[in-house]
Amino acid sequence: MAGGPAIGGGGKRGSAAQTVGVLNLLTDLAFNLLIFFVVCASTEPEKGRPQDVPNVNEKKTEESKVQPVKLRVSRTDVFLKGETEENLPIEGLAARLRELLAEKTNPRERIVMVQTDGDTTYSQWIKVAEKIEEAGGVMTMLKVTEKVVTLRKSGGE
Amino acid sequence: MRFKWKKLEVAPPYVSMADIAFNLVLFFVILARTQDDSHLKWEPAKSAATRQIENASMSITVDVDGKTYLNGQQVGIIELPEGIASQLAAKGETKGKVLLKIHKETQALTFEPIIKAVSKAGCEVVHVLEEQQ
Repeated sequence: MAGGPAIGGGGKRGSAAQTVGVLNLLTDLAFNLLIFFVVCASTEPEKGRPQDVPNVNEKKTEESKVQPVKLRVSRTDVFLKGETEENLPIEGLAARLRELLAEKTNPRERIVMVQTDGDTTYSQWIKVAEKIEEAGGVMTMLKVTEKVVTLRKSGGE
Repeated sequence: MRFKWKKLEVAPPYVSMADIAFNLVLFFVILARTQDDSHLKWEPAKSAATRQIENASMSITVDVDGKTYLNGQQVGIIELPEGIASQLAAKGETKGKVLLKIHKETQALTFEPIIKAVSKAGCEVVHVLEEQQ
């Protein structure tokens, strides 16, 4: 940081020193402005979407009279789970969900359970979450049953 | 013999002092920001419905290699609930907002347990996304 010489004196020497001092101060000012704009640019607020993910017990919802809408999201497709799986195009998903949720006035009943395949991408999941929100549903994640695999040594226990 | 003291004409460097003060302000502004995770490589998923995010308590990032970071520090998914709880305790909060910076190609096997851990900790999930034009 250039502090610059003390401003004072007179004559030719004094005036030269004064010019150098002013130039130093201007350089400082320019440098500070540069830093200020760099900081401003790096603190640009991020954009995104908040999401409320309620913890829903599948057993409890099965016991209740109103059946929640269940979706299975694969890497490329979305399926409506029922007795048979219905393939829903992502473009028409919001409209179909709106139909299914039309009679459900209670927010607790407007739950859409989403089950994913292991390889479903985050990008695909976000698209589905967006459509559910658009249709006025509340997205929750369906717990996939975990399989326990026990490995045994050949000829061992 | 009497000496004649020369009076120095030195003015306090007010401009330089203002510069220092300004730099200090900038320094504390940068310091006050949430922990820096700008070194992590990830691409956000696109969404049409995005809004501006206010300051969050912490951030969880999943990079292009599928590694998980809590406030820029690499953690395992199993360690996440404990990590979130300790971060909240350090800030004296019971609930908070967690930014999820998940790479768009991350698979459900990785991101679902993260979302579950955050919601189980009682925090609000905020997905950081790119606005679709």
